[in-house]
Amino acid sequence: MERIHSLYLHVPFCTWVCKYCDFNAYAVLDGLIPPYVDALARELDAAADTLPIGPIDTVFIGGGTPSLLTIDQLHLLTDHVRCIGLAPNAEVTLEANPSNVTNEKVDGWLGAGVNRLSIGVQSLRPDALRFLERLHSGADAITAIRRARAGGFANVNADLLYGVPGVELAGWMETLDAVLAEGVQHLSAYELTVESQTRLGQEVRTGLVQMPDADDQLEQYWAAVARLEAAGYAHYEISNWSRPGLACRHNLAAWHYQPYVGCGAGAHSMFRSNDGSTERRWNVKGPHAYIKQASGSGHAVAGSETLSPERAAGEAAMIGVRLLDGTAAARDFPLQRTQLVQAGLLAERDGDVRLTRRGIELANQVGAVFLA
Amino acid sequence: MSTPTHLTRAISVIAHVDHGKTTLSDRLLEYTGTVAPRDMVEQVLDQLDLERERGITIKAQAVRMLYKADDGNTYQINLIDTPGHVDFSYEVSRALAACDGAILVVDASQGIEAQTLANVHQALDHNLKIIPVVNKIDLPQANPELVREEIEKVIGLPAESVIFASARKGIGTKEILEAVVREVPAPTGDSNAPLQALIFDAKFDAYRGVVTYIRVLEGTLRPGMRIQMMQTGKSFEVDEVGIFRPERTPVDDLSAGEVGYLIANIRNVRDSRVGDTVTDEARRAAAPLPGYRHVTPMVFAGLFPTDTEQYQQLKEALEKLQLNDAALVYEPETSAALGFGFRCGFLGLLHMEIVQERLEREFNLTLLGTAPTVEYRVKLRDGTEIPVDNPDKLPDPGEIEAISEPMVIATIVVPSTYVGNMMELSQERRGQFLNMEYEPGDRVVITYRMPLAEIIHDYYDQLKSRSKGYASLDYELVGFEEANLVKLDVLVAGSPVDALSMIVDRSKAQQQGRRLAEKLKTLIPRQLFEVPIQAAIGGKIVARETVPAMRKDVTAKCYGGDVTRKRKLLEKQKEGKKRLKRVGNVEIPQEAFMAVLSLD
Repeated sequence: MERIHSLYLHVPFCTWVCKYCDFNAYAVLDGLIPPYVDALARELDAAADTLPIGPIDTVFIGGGTPSLLTIDQLHLLTDHVRCIGLAPNAEVTLEANPSNVTNEKVDGWLGAGVNRLSIGVQSLRPDALRFLERLHSGADAITAIRRARAGGFANVNADLLYGVPGVELAGWMETLDAVLAEGVQHLSAYELTVESQTRLGQEVRTGLVQMPDADDQLEQYWAAVARLEAAGYAHYEISNWSRPGLACRHNLAAWHYQPYVGCGAGAHSMFRSNDGSTERRWNVKGPHAYIKQASGSGHAVAGSETLSPERAAGEAAMIGVRLLDGTAAARDFPLQRTQLVQAGLLAERDGDVRLTRRGIELANQVGAVFLA
Repeated sequence: MSTPTHLTRAISVIAHVDHGKTTLSDRLLEYTGTVAPRDMVEQVLDQLDLERERGITIKAQAVRMLYKADDGNTYQINLIDTPGHVDFSYEVSRALAACDGAILVVDASQGIEAQTLANVHQALDHNLKIIPVVNKIDLPQANPELVREEIEKVIGLPAESVIFASARKGIGTKEILEAVVREVPAPTGDSNAPLQALIFDAKFDAYRGVVTYIRVLEGTLRPGMRIQMMQTGKSFEVDEVGIFRPERTPVDDLSAGEVGYLIANIRNVRDSRVGDTVTDEARRAAAPLPGYRHVTPMVFAGLFPTDTEQYQQLKEALEKLQLNDAALVYEPETSAALGFGFRCGFLGLLHMEIVQERLEREFNLTLLGTAPTVEYRVKLRDGTEIPVDNPDKLPDPGEIEAISEPMVIATIVVPSTYVGNMMELSQERRGQFLNMEYEPGDRVVITYRMPLAEIIHDYYDQLKSRSKGYASLDYELVGFEEANLVKLDVLVAGSPVDALSMIVDRSKAQQQGRRLAEKLKTLIPRQLFEVPIQAAIGGKIVARETVPAMRKDVTAKCYGGDVTRKRKLLEKQKEGKKRLKRVGNVEIPQEAFMAVLSLD
């Protein structure tokens, strides 16, 4: 098995589950946080014992809302990670809700070894935040960014959402400009996506909410692309931009199809064998079940699948094309590549391919071509 | 166990679709102890999964029941279950020819329908004693008294002979059996005469070859005999004869009046044709039984594998299916748009649907069927006449002297409220009005002469929808008639798609072209580029529509843990695309090729 250098930790607790969210997240289970953190620590130890893991280059603590953890709880986790072996220049990201970013927490996070903070800003507009059911204000989000930067974070990301019903192009650009003015190093701008299992999905199905049409969504997307480029950010993935050299290394590893271990409820892991086949495992989703299983045996795997080298190569290409600097992942698919180049969706350079503007708009169509 | 001839009966159950024929048969089997209650599954006699699922009978079945009647005698009752659909009317006629009586089942709430009449006429043609049964009397909307009156007035059977029954509840079963032994005449054949046995169905068994379903009318059939099929002239040696109880049970012989099967190392159902007469090669009967007809397909369509790699598999599957389905014909066809496939002939639309479904299900193929068409006869200027069963193969208009198309007499039975709608529909479909009769129970029987091509183009669905489901239809082929027809072509992204061509009435061609283009626009999914759709008559474009290019298909957020789900989503989309056929660089779904069927 190939050595693993990336680690994901999932914290599935939230104060409120926003209506568009389809991640594995739960509100009103705060009482479970202490045993959950213990179970997570137990799973980390077990992973270290059974997998070829480390030194760890990237850690991503996501959720849910991991900023709900106390500093002690976070310390417990990062201590266990350090036991596995953390590379000296490792990237350690924590996702934070603007409401939780206090000066004390910022100090505590830095003290626990976190060096990249990803703040869920989403929008600065009151109407959009209300629609999205965010419990913080735009001002809270700006304050959070300032506290993080002032407190010592040199690598701050802001997550934003565009294509929110009721927010026109100008409103979206206002939010984007205001966040850029804060000097973040990294920015993720995601189109608000309707997932069928969410309350938003229900509202769209029943006609209560009407989503903007594809033209409007793309208009906001391309406007953001232009603005971020002008501001000197590198557009390195469909929805991600960074200051030069500050792309999210954890996500890059996944997009480059590198193996990783995921710990926590519902977390996925990906392993690669030397023959090129890929194995994915996923943990039980519910926190109760996870705690029960992981605190006992240190394992909470609920399912797995193994992809043949061919299918794995297709999957690698499917993900790889999302990297806009170009990818070598499609090199085993000369026919598909030619077809996509002819269709104007891919451009070829030195054997690598990258999405064209039209290719970005139809990236799923491109990705599907590589799947058997 | 042998039964004296005077205690033998052979009957069939006839009914309009859904009037409860098969359920009634189930009850008879149960009541006579032919099938033990623990082995009872619904539709015992329908053996194909497809038959049970759809609740229809495709192949005829036979079963021997023993019934101890009130008169103290034990009777041997041979029951033949017949297909209930107009596509299989010839098979029904042969099954009836093998019987002496028929149980006529009429639904207590639906009353007499088109196929009830067609079946009764056939039964009377075969001099069958008819036992009328009003079924489903337990349903709240049942009106058995009215239906009984209808039976007397429309069919001419005395009201007092009608038995009220509910096959579902088992009401009336005994009365029906008593009527059968009392009313249906015993067979009159002579067991010592030269052999004459009527084939009413045949089935291919992978281990035994063809199992031929027969009724012995004269003489006796034994294993070891050399038999001859009097229509095809082929001879075989009989390995086994037997009866159905309901599974095959070998017996020493089958003598005059008995129903059963024979196995004689016959490798193809074509050599055991429905309606043919089996005789003793050593002692031939003077003449074959009357009524044999060579079954010819009425409806034609192309079947193409969506994956060109499956051509050979499709060929083998058709060969296998044909072993068991003498009515299915096919020949290789090449389409510029769809590649290599087969032009297949079917008895009707249901038969076509069934064949395609069996091919896909039993042989794991993914097929694309083109719209069904009839066979035209085209007279050329040079005096020759050619059959054309594929619109694309219609010769150049300059070479054509005249085109004839098959005509049918269509019988519609409908409540009087909908007479106007039925006439309007039939007139739109080039029908010539023949007759209309008002019957009791507010029922009207309307007959039209109309082109078969119009019937297969959505006529039945329209008939149903414009009569709120009340109308029923039966039709029979009556010959060919000259008509003013032209070919309508379709171009997708500038290239003609041969499989979308159709032959239409000249006066309606332009309108049909417009509708077809509009319809295709809704059926062809958005592609990566804009796709123009054009309809043309003789090279002249008569309609144009455009499918706009796909605007956007991109997942905003793709993180590691989400990759499996995302891949599965794309794989599912891609699986869906396998049902699409790539024509040039446009992907066209199966429904598009069927669009021509419903342009109203």
